[in-house]
Amino acid sequence: MIGFLRLMIFGLVGLTIAYWLMLIYMRSLKREDLENEWDEVSGEGLPPRDTYIDEGMSGYEHSLKRKLVWLVVIVPICLFGVLLYFMNFNS
Amino acid sequence: MAYVKWTFYALVALILFSFFHYNLPQHDVVRIVGTYQERQDLGDWTRIFWASPEDQSATLVNRDVQFIQAVKADGATMVYRNEDTGWGWPPYFKFDTASLQTEADDLRSTREAPKWAVVTHYGWRSELISIFPNAVGIYEVDSPDQRIIPWMNIILLTVLLLIVLTLRAMWRQFRQRSIDPLIEDAEDAWDELGDRADAAGDKARGWFGTWKGKPRK
Repeated sequence: MIGFLRLMIFGLVGLTIAYWLMLIYMRSLKREDLENEWDEVSGEGLPPRDTYIDEGMSGYEHSLKRKLVWLVVIVPICLFGVLLYFMNFNS
Repeated sequence: MAYVKWTFYALVALILFSFFHYNLPQHDVVRIVGTYQERQDLGDWTRIFWASPEDQSATLVNRDVQFIQAVKADGATMVYRNEDTGWGWPPYFKFDTASLQTEADDLRSTREAPKWAVVTHYGWRSELISIFPNAVGIYEVDSPDQRIIPWMNIILLTVLLLIVLTLRAMWRQFRQRSIDPLIEDAEDAWDELGDRADAAGDKARGWFGTWKGKPRK
């Protein structure tokens, strides 16, 4: 049982780190896109640069893309389950 | 120095290759000829090539291990150990040792009437230090020429490559957006400092100049 707990703890720590890294990375990409969009037209017909980026970012925080970052956590856990099943209970 | 560098790289490559070669699954087409159980001493450094015991047996110096004896199509022999990996490393999550032993027993055949089976395993066989690959799965096939596509290895290595590339992209993004601006700021500050020092120098020189007095006529 200690083995299982150890796997769970290390696994969750690892997945948390992966999740945060991915979250920060995707946010950074989105911000860069917004900056480039604004700069391309030199802000013509758009709100001021900071406002434009802030609005874009708050929109991103509620987008599907933001929620998909959870896949970084969900997919490995599902793979773990599938592997456990096929290794032991399917023969 | 170039030799040191290349030796270092070669060593890293060798360690990485060994790591994957030991831990990734491999397949053998074999004929199962028998199974046995033998008490193994676990006292010396080859301990690392045996499964980590469950908690209650962590302090044991020896224990019974199940083995599967097999012969390949070309007559070469192979002996697999059959141990649970449990929740530990490598992450095969194998708990069905007893069932696997039963399946192996069921597939037992003679040279005259051979039954072929694919044994999935990881690890190395070394006669010299008595280590055995750990069998993790077994299934029957029709002929010894069975073609095996190592899907698991293809998928695992691809995913691993994707993870490495993602980490690299993350690092580049971080450097471009967070570190480079800092360095530019520092450079600007440095330049400004230089300008100010020059200006101060000029000023001081100008002040010293007032001491020198006016050139005499």
